[in-house]
Amino acid sequence: MSTLGLLRTLFNPKIVTPNAIQLQSLNRSPFLVGLFFNHEQVRTMSRVKRRTTHPPYWHVLKNNQRQDEKISSDNLRFVREVIQDKYKNKSPIKGSDLDIEKKEWDPKTKRSGVIARNIGVQHMWEKDGKKVVCTVLHVLDNHVIRYVPPEEYAKSIIGAKVFRNRKPLGCLVVGAEAANPDRFTRQYCSLFNEVGLLPKKRLARFIVTPNAVLPPCTPLTAGHFVVGQAVDVYGKTIDYGFQGVVKRWGFKGGPASHGATKFHRRGGTIGTGRDKARVWPGQKMPGHMGSERRFCRGLKIVRINMKYNVIYVKGTVPGPTNSIVQIFDTVLPRRKFTEAPPHPTYFPPEDGTLPQEDIWDSSLHVFGSPSISV
Amino acid sequence: MLRRAVLQTFRQGLAQSFFKRNAVSLSETTVTHQPIETSNEADEKSVSKQKPGDESGNTVVVAPPEFRFMYPEFLPDPAMERRNRLKEKLERIDMLQRRSVVEIPEFYTGSVMAVTVADANSPNKFARFVGICIQRGGSGLRAWFILRNVVDKQGVEILYEMYCPLIQKIEVLRLERRLDESLLYLRDALPEYSTFPLDMEPERRLNNSVVPINPLKVKLRPRPWLERWERQNLQGVEDLNLPQRFYDKAEKVAKPWEKYDLMLQYRKTIPAEEQEKIFADVHSQLQQQEFKRKMRRRRGTDNEQ
Repeated sequence: MSTLGLLRTLFNPKIVTPNAIQLQSLNRSPFLVGLFFNHEQVRTMSRVKRRTTHPPYWHVLKNNQRQDEKISSDNLRFVREVIQDKYKNKSPIKGSDLDIEKKEWDPKTKRSGVIARNIGVQHMWEKDGKKVVCTVLHVLDNHVIRYVPPEEYAKSIIGAKVFRNRKPLGCLVVGAEAANPDRFTRQYCSLFNEVGLLPKKRLARFIVTPNAVLPPCTPLTAGHFVVGQAVDVYGKTIDYGFQGVVKRWGFKGGPASHGATKFHRRGGTIGTGRDKARVWPGQKMPGHMGSERRFCRGLKIVRINMKYNVIYVKGTVPGPTNSIVQIFDTVLPRRKFTEAPPHPTYFPPEDGTLPQEDIWDSSLHVFGSPSISV
Repeated sequence: MLRRAVLQTFRQGLAQSFFKRNAVSLSETTVTHQPIETSNEADEKSVSKQKPGDESGNTVVVAPPEFRFMYPEFLPDPAMERRNRLKEKLERIDMLQRRSVVEIPEFYTGSVMAVTVADANSPNKFARFVGICIQRGGSGLRAWFILRNVVDKQGVEILYEMYCPLIQKIEVLRLERRLDESLLYLRDALPEYSTFPLDMEPERRLNNSVVPINPLKVKLRPRPWLERWERQNLQGVEDLNLPQRFYDKAEKVAKPWEKYDLMLQYRKTIPAEEQEKIFADVHSQLQQQEFKRKMRRRRGTDNEQ
């Protein structure tokens, strides 16, 4: 045993029973800290799994391995007809048709979220002339696929983790971006058989309270949100690939000239040689950077275009242009709703007329209005 | 500028010569679908050419090819990773909305312009600046241009964002082009080439059909300079009179193969078919706005009378 270990046992007389789990106690008495330890540094990146390149094992296989099937054009046409018959276009669902029990909204309600595509960044101006960078999010053709009630969701692997010490909530599975069933496997298409919808390219789960439940096949549009509210946006950050230590961790590297031999963008030392006498887990080194789950909290919606189903959000969003993100009402306590939003979701008026095509926040300068004079 | 709309028909006849002079920004793929009309045929009042008709028999309106020079900010950034057709369409709608309020005239690098901006810190709440446009860039609502002038022997450059709502008025005092697309060398030139009177009046052009190219060759101050102008193949600068070693090094560093690189040009430009679609989209609205402005001006002069 090392000297350090001996000293530890001297100062930590704990009776270890055979069944007890030995706790790692740190003796922080000033005598020892000054003499033998540099402070116990915790390298938090050590055990965090930052990304996976494969889906969880309970997901069904999604994409078809396209074999070069030599089908005649007649048969291809027949296949297309079969698909069209199976997924005949349904008329859009009206609010009155659905049997939603008219539940009241209360401040503790969690509504569904929405899947959108980040289509780029546009500059807008406020009424005092200040420029504001807004991200444009295009709400795709979202449909609710199914609802998982709280009791069932709490038994699943993820649900058990999320609701370990909380009251369980339900979960809505929402899909976006309908695609040709040819490209997906039969198991994946079977997920949509109950609803009778064309299979969606992207699925997401949103945790909802039971009073915000939506029946399957309900469409979700940009009108689900209100101009001026705060939203959280989840996305996967830009994938930078394998990056060096300067870009990945912000190291300073070495001098560009003055005789530096082959030391311009390297990390330098990775350990002291005395304490621990090894490289600590979590030591910052080159590696894969990006493509990580991130949430941008509390972004304000400044404009909604109901005709094109587009939301303008103040600020930027994780992920590159044309990537998929998920938007939902914010969890930040001071920016939550005080008045009832479209609950459980927004349904366009029955007679087909849009009340207002383009809704702007009061702080923004509308482009068609006269120039600002200070 | 004031009677351009009426005389624009004549420009069509001279479009061919216009192209030949301005072949720098054209890619090899820009081919017009119709033969260039001579001035005899260009008698229609409308500026737009009408395609002989697609399969359904409807006439398709196509914007004149000069639009890619007059309104370059309607073309999006060519980088494919960041392009999205829906977003570009929405941005164009916003740009046209802004243009319906403020007249953003046609201008080029080398034109002398005056911009009036709302400014809280100036005495009469508006600040007017006159200068020569030395560079323009950006696409969509981010389009910008830089005006340069020498005020009290101090060179001043201001970058204006074309669609900023603080801008009250943009006037083109002298519409002309220079031999280069970017006049940044005026920073190293003698100050008289960048000096323009702040109370300059708008100049009337005799020949409204073609934008004149000013073949002025500017004299630079003695070295040191801000950039290595001998490496940039500038047309609008007088002979630099440098020692031969500068030109030798410039040759070593030059990339003469770039002019044969088709993919490089392709990546830097938007394909001609897309450009046509974009400008056809935008053309009718711009024409309407131009017409409304003309009527407003005429009504204004009638009221004065």
